[in-house]
Amino acid sequence: MLRKYLVLITMAASLIAGAITAPAQEAGALLDLLVKKRIITDQEAEEVRGELNKEFSQSPAGKMKLSTPLTELEIYGDARVRYEVRNGNSGPPGTLVTNPNDAQQRNRHRYRLRLGLRGTLVDDWFFGLRLETSTSNRSTNVTFGDDAGPFGKTSDGAFIGQAYLGYSGFRDIRLTAGRIPNPFVTTSMIWDGDINPEGFSQQYKHTFNLNWGGGSTDTAASEEYSKDGKSAAPAVSEPSTMAIDLFANFGQFVYDDNNPENPIGAPAVSGGRRVPENDAYMFGYQIGAKFNFTKTTYFQLAPTFYHYSGYGNDFNTFFNGGPNFRTTTVPPVTVTPNQTGINSLFVFNMPAEFGFSIGELPVRLFSDFAVNLDAEDRALAAGRPDKDDERYAYQLGVGIGRIKTKGNWQLNVFWQHAEQFALDPNLVDSDIFDSRVNMEGVAVQAGYALTDAVTVNLTYAYGEQIDNTLGTGGVGDIGVNPLREYQLFQADLNFKF
Amino acid sequence: MKTTYLAILTGLALAVSPVGAEKVVIKGSDTLGAKLVPQLAEQFKAQNPGTTFDIAAEGSTTGIAAIIDGTADIGMSSRRAKPAEVGAASGKGKNLKPTIVAYDGLGVIVNSANPIKGLTKKQVEQIFTGDVTDWSAIGGSSGKISIYTRNTSSGTYSDWKELAMKKRDYAKGSQKMAGHEQIAAEVGKNASGIGYVGLAYMKAGGIKVVPIEGAMPSQASVLNKSWPYARPTFYYTNGDPQGVAKQFVDFTTGPVGQKIAGRVGFVPIR
Repeated sequence: MLRKYLVLITMAASLIAGAITAPAQEAGALLDLLVKKRIITDQEAEEVRGELNKEFSQSPAGKMKLSTPLTELEIYGDARVRYEVRNGNSGPPGTLVTNPNDAQQRNRHRYRLRLGLRGTLVDDWFFGLRLETSTSNRSTNVTFGDDAGPFGKTSDGAFIGQAYLGYSGFRDIRLTAGRIPNPFVTTSMIWDGDINPEGFSQQYKHTFNLNWGGGSTDTAASEEYSKDGKSAAPAVSEPSTMAIDLFANFGQFVYDDNNPENPIGAPAVSGGRRVPENDAYMFGYQIGAKFNFTKTTYFQLAPTFYHYSGYGNDFNTFFNGGPNFRTTTVPPVTVTPNQTGINSLFVFNMPAEFGFSIGELPVRLFSDFAVNLDAEDRALAAGRPDKDDERYAYQLGVGIGRIKTKGNWQLNVFWQHAEQFALDPNLVDSDIFDSRVNMEGVAVQAGYALTDAVTVNLTYAYGEQIDNTLGTGGVGDIGVNPLREYQLFQADLNFKF
Repeated sequence: MKTTYLAILTGLALAVSPVGAEKVVIKGSDTLGAKLVPQLAEQFKAQNPGTTFDIAAEGSTTGIAAIIDGTADIGMSSRRAKPAEVGAASGKGKNLKPTIVAYDGLGVIVNSANPIKGLTKKQVEQIFTGDVTDWSAIGGSSGKISIYTRNTSSGTYSDWKELAMKKRDYAKGSQKMAGHEQIAAEVGKNASGIGYVGLAYMKAGGIKVVPIEGAMPSQASVLNKSWPYARPTFYYTNGDPQGVAKQFVDFTTGPVGQKIAGRVGFVPIR
């Protein structure tokens, strides 16, 4: 009996120390060993199991029931409060603007909440679900006091931000379908970080460990594989090695659904052109590699192609991106040319990053480059064939420090240049240059971790119109096109859990 | 008049109950309740005249539920109580106390006409989960595999999932039987049948036990825990048993009870 209580106390203490994450059955292996060693009897082991089960059933974890096929479940999320100022100037008269030499400023107090659940099921299946505030595709922010009130809740809903399922049973391959996290290595120049595309992705990643000798391991090259990617190649001493992560990411996204594809009646015609009645798809193809020279020194390159098929329901007008203009003075009628069309976009993109450390300080130099190989047609469709050279976008930056735990800090500075016909304006970051193209400027981001879970972040961005004879294509928060000048300031308090 | 009726009713009640009779209500596992516990009860009654038993063998789940609900003195179970059941018991002020009755070894049985010579643990998993549906895929003659299992309230049903199927679900077409005897009987009639039964039921007619990884189940391999499909069987009581229930539990785990357990086909704990 005394032995039983000693065992019980020991096991209960170990379970409590482990936040009682496992029921008594999970302690079965240890109990079986004690029985095998004849330290306790089977009956005593069963009584200990019963006591631990009782303890567990009264703990918070024990009150939660999970389905049998579930092998792992993670609850995660983050919350943020933000104060933001964004200001846009319309520029001098003489250009086709509605309000010359005017400016629009928006000061907003905002919050966001993202609450996620992801897990694995038996036989290598997995799933994810994330609820997010805001209905926007490019933002999860809710602005304080922007709905009926005071303190209305109209804009405070929770929406499905991610809902996906997938399979990882094939070696090195991960297949995902649904409303999925962006599968591509990318930057804010191409993709806003809040976008979760809808469709399918296929991801491949394999690590090759190269060895040039110098240690006692004589294998010239070896491969390793583990599903969690956490295993390390064995080395008796320290030979000269390099690990290469070879990866490939493919995506097929339903950009916009058009229904019905074959409507009753005569086909719709707009501007003398038959309105296409098909779904719009976006396809991405990325093959890249990360060369890990040492634990802290690496170089990553991820060349990618993006192209589109069809026009969907909302994107069947050709992109113009031109400035707002008035057709009459009294009454004033303002025309906004199309800012969202996805015609003639075949974008080659190549994000790159070089990381190293100066002493203990991590540093990374990053860049992104994109060129629209169909820019000539896009400019022609916009009525500006003379601007078919406006096809390039690039970003150059440096990051110092890295936030991982309490007391860490980070500083990023980058320059970005995105020409009018270079990118899909529906996807670019919504903050840095207000979702616009034909903009260039600088952004500075600084962060500090107050605790392991709480960080303070400050962002400042300044941008200018690149070509003053073109609009700043895209639909942003500032109701001015062109944006001759743009400034952004954000102060964030982030909670991660 | 009322007093007269009351006296008559009291007299009738006394007339149908033996003087000093004590009743033990036992519910739960068919594994224990079909053969072992009735025989234990008969022997116990022989030694303790006046004791009566009410035994209902409808599955381990019903036995544990009966202790939680307070409708039985002893709950028979061929599996351990689940955390949810332990929690439910705590919520009702009950304390599920397990007592090991005997050990049992489950074995895979097929029709005696089946040419199969043996199976691996992986093949057993594949068969019962439905990954393999034809005997020809595992070295047998061509024919669709018919799977016979216990019903869902049975502890053996969930034990088998845990011991042999990596907790996966049974194949869709599996047929659920009320007891081990029924499984043995159905497999004995069906040349394509396969099922599992406890050691006590392996000598039924028309069936044969299939070696697993080249080994056959035996009392020795169950006792030394080398048989992969071995398990303890339990009595559950609300805390330490009291009165005649305690006497019956002690009798079961004592020399006479364990001798009976061995004779019936279980592996004694001592």
